[in-house]
Amino acid sequence: MSFEPKILGIACNWCTYTGADLAGTTRLKYPQNLRVVRVMCSSRINPSFIFRAFQLGADGVLVGGCHPGDCHYNTGNLYARRRLATTKKILEFAGFEPGRLRVEWISASEGNKFAEVVAEFTAQIRNLGPQAKLKIQE
Amino acid sequence: MLKKTAIEKISQLAAVLMEKGTLLAPVKEVSGHNFAEINDPQKVDLSFYNTIMSPKGAFFPHKEDFVKYKIGKPLSEAEPAVLNLKPAFLFGVRPCDVKSFEIMDIHFDAAGIIDPYWRFRREATTIFGYAYDLNQPVDSADFYNTLGIYAADPEGSDIFMVKKDKELLLKAITKKGENLLSELAVLKDGSAADEKYFTEYVNKGKEYKTRFMTLDQEAIAKKLEDIFDNTDFWTKMSAACLSCGICTFVCPTCYCFDICDDTLFGKGTRRRVWDACMFTDFTLEASGHNPRTQVYQRLRQKISHKYSYHIRKYGVISCVGCGRCTRYCPVNIDIYSIVEAALKA
Amino acid sequence: MTEFKKIEENLKTEATRLLKEGLVTVVLAYGKGFDENHPMPYAAKTIADVENIVFNEYCNYNMARYLVRYPQGTKIAIAVKAADSRAVIQLIQEEKVKRENLVILGIPVQGMKNPKTGEIIDSKTTCGMYNPVLYDLLLGEEVHGAKSASPYDVLAEYEKMDKEARWEFWKKEFDKCIRCYACRKACPMCYCDPCFIDQSKPKWADKAPQSPGNMMYHLTRFHHLAGRCIDCGECSRACPVDIPLYLFHKKVAKECEEMFNQAAGMSIEDKPVLVDFRVEDSDKILE
Ligand code: SF4
Ligand code: SF4
Ligand code: SF4
Ligand code: SF4
Ligand code: FES
Repeated sequence: MSFEPKILGIACNWCTYTGADLAGTTRLKYPQNLRVVRVMCSSRINPSFIFRAFQLGADGVLVGGCHPGDCHYNTGNLYARRRLATTKKILEFAGFEPGRLRVEWISASEGNKFAEVVAEFTAQIRNLGPQAKLKIQE
Repeated sequence: MLKKTAIEKISQLAAVLMEKGTLLAPVKEVSGHNFAEINDPQKVDLSFYNTIMSPKGAFFPHKEDFVKYKIGKPLSEAEPAVLNLKPAFLFGVRPCDVKSFEIMDIHFDAAGIIDPYWRFRREATTIFGYAYDLNQPVDSADFYNTLGIYAADPEGSDIFMVKKDKELLLKAITKKGENLLSELAVLKDGSAADEKYFTEYVNKGKEYKTRFMTLDQEAIAKKLEDIFDNTDFWTKMSAACLSCGICTFVCPTCYCFDICDDTLFGKGTRRRVWDACMFTDFTLEASGHNPRTQVYQRLRQKISHKYSYHIRKYGVISCVGCGRCTRYCPVNIDIYSIVEAALKA
Repeated sequence: MTEFKKIEENLKTEATRLLKEGLVTVVLAYGKGFDENHPMPYAAKTIADVENIVFNEYCNYNMARYLVRYPQGTKIAIAVKAADSRAVIQLIQEEKVKRENLVILGIPVQGMKNPKTGEIIDSKTTCGMYNPVLYDLLLGEEVHGAKSASPYDVLAEYEKMDKEARWEFWKKEFDKCIRCYACRKACPMCYCDPCFIDQSKPKWADKAPQSPGNMMYHLTRFHHLAGRCIDCGECSRACPVDIPLYLFHKKVAKECEEMFNQAAGMSIEDKPVLVDFRVEDSDKILE
C-alpha cells in the first residue's frame, strides 16, 4: 500500500484557521492528509502537544499562526516563535527529523498560501516516509 | 552436597542453566551491576559488590502487564498476560537480599493475600545465594548486621555460593537446591578441604562487620509512634530529602505499586507499576486532597512503615540493611542514622 | 584557591553571625553526613546547628534547589558555588525568591568531585565556572588563571553524530530510565506543583518505565528547562543509572544562547528567554 502521510495541523483561530477556511470557500485543492485542530493563538501550543502528536502517529505537524506583528493578541506568536524553534532543536538533537515539524505564518487572506504550504509539506513528509521513531508501537 | 567450578568457567554453568530455564544473573552495566535475564552466558559477571537495583524485580517486576483489553468489547475477548512458567535461576544473590524475599512473602504470599505472579515465580525459581567477598572492604552504607544478617549466611538460599580464590564453591542448602546441583554435570565435586573452607567461610562471615547497633524491635516501634508528631525532628531529618523515588525503587523490601489502565485508541493494557510513598502524588486523593504534601511527612512514612508499622503488623522490620537507599540517595540521607537519631529523640 | 577547610570556617563564622544578628532564619549550606565522603545539603536554623556545617570536595549540591521550600519572604542565607549562584539568579528572574530576602554566600572553588565516581567535576558535566556570579559575601579568594574549557566543547562528538546514531544513542539512554524522577527533584529549576508528568488530566505519559513514557518525560523536561538550565549537572549526578542528561541540557542551552543571545542565570535584570521575545527575532530560527 502506498504511504499516505498523516499530518496534524494546529492553526490559530484568527489567521491560519480563517485562511484555511478561505482556501476551502475558494475551492482551492490541497492534499487531504491534513487534519486541523484550532487553537486560539499559536502561543497556546504546548510543545508537548507536538511530542504527543508524533507519539500518537502523526507523520508531520504543521503549525500555523498570524504573521509576526499581526497576532490577535499582539505578541502571542512572538513567544510561539521562540518556543517552537526550541522544540525543533530538541527534536533534532534527539535524532528525530526536525523537518517533520513546520511553522508557517499564514494570514486570514492567504488561502492560496495555505493550500501551497499544505501541498509542499505533504510532499516533504511523503519523501521522509512514515514516522516510526516516536510513534508508539502497538 | 558441595560442588565447585572455576570462576573463569562460570559461563559454562550459565549456559547449562539457560538450557534448563530462565537465568537471571548480575551483568555489568555502565553505572554498575544489575540482575538481568541472560541471553549470552559470557555476560554473567560475578565481580560485583552488590547490584544497583535489588533482585526483587525477579518476582515483582517494575512493570507487570496483567491483561490486554479493547474498549467496548466483551470480557471474553480480553487477553490475560501469559506467565513464563519455565524454571528460573536467580544467580548471585547477596545474603541480605535473600533475606528480603522472606519479608516480601508476607505481602505477596501470606497475610491472606496471595499474588499468583509472585508465588509462581517464587516457586519456579532456584535461588543461588552468594556470600560477600570477605576480602573486599564493606561499603560504609551497609548495616545488615543490625538486622541480624551476616555476610555469608546461607539461610534462605537453595544453593549457596562462596568464592575460594579462583573457584566458586556451591553448596546445596535445600532439597530443591540439591536436586538441581546433582543434575549439573559441568560442576566438579568438592573435596573435604572445600567443605571445611565453606564452613569456615560461613563462620568468618560473622566477623565481616557492617555498621551495627543493638535494635530492640519493640523499642523502635514504640519510639517512632511516640515521635510521630515531633515535626521538628522530622523536618530536620528530611531537610535535605528531595522526595525522589530512588530509595524506594532500589530497596529490596519496598513493595508499593499502582494499577494503571493505559489505553490508546480503544486498546489498552492493565498493568502494575511500582509506586512509592516518596512521590508527591502517592497519597493524592481523587477529591484533590493530599494528606501528605510535605517532604517530612513522606520521609516519616517511609521510616515509620519499615521500623514501626511493619513490626506492629507483621512482627518484623521491613528492612534488611543492604544499604542501597543510602548508597544511591543523591543527598546521602541515611536510614540508619535516622533510626539512630529517632532512638535518641 | 582558598582551602576547603578555610571556606568551611568562613561559612561557619558567617552562619553564626547571620543567625545571631537575626538577619536570616535559615542558612542553607552543607552538613555532616554519615561519613566524611558523604556530606549532605543542610539547613542550619540555630547557632547550635552551625557546628554541623562542613565544606569539602563532595559538597556538590546545588542549594538553590531548597529555596522554594521556604515560604516567600523568609530571610535565607544560601551558600553557592558558581553554577548554584546562577540558579539563584534564575529563580530571582522567575520571581520564586526575592533578592532582598537572600544573603548569598559565594564560594569560589575548583576541584569539586563527583562522590559516586571520584571524578573532578568540570566543564564536561557543568558550566565549568569557578566563581559565583552573584554574592553578598565571598568566602574565599576568587579563582583566577585556571583555564576552563567551554561548557559546550563536550557536545562536538554528539553533534557530529549521524542523526540515526544519535537517535539510537538517546533511545538507549532513555530506555535505562527507571522514572524515579530524581533528576527533576534535584534540579533547582524544577519546582512545579504538580509537575506535568504527575498530571492525570491530561495524562501525558504512562507511568511504566518504558520507551514512550520515558521519551515524553525527558523531551518535555528538556523543553521546560530550555533557557533556564544553568548547567549545574545535579540532575545527572542524582540519576541512579547515570543517564547523561547534562548533554541534552547543554545542547538546548547552547541553541538558546545562539538564538536569543542570552545565557541562563547570568543577570537578575534578564528575563528567561522563553517568556520573552524580540520583535527582531528572525524566522530563520524556525528553519
Ligand atoms: S531519602 Fe534520598 S533517595 Fe529517598 S526520596 Fe529522599 S532524596 Fe530521594
Ligand atoms: S537541568 Fe540539570 S544541569 Fe540544568 S539546572 Fe536543572 S539540575 Fe542543573
Ligand atoms: S519537568 Fe517541567 S513541569 Fe516538571 S518540575 Fe520540571 S519544569 Fe516543572
Ligand atoms: S534520575 Fe535518571 S532514572 Fe531517575 S527519572 Fe531521572 S533520568 Fe530517569
Ligand atoms: S492569534 Fe494568531 S498567532 Fe496569536
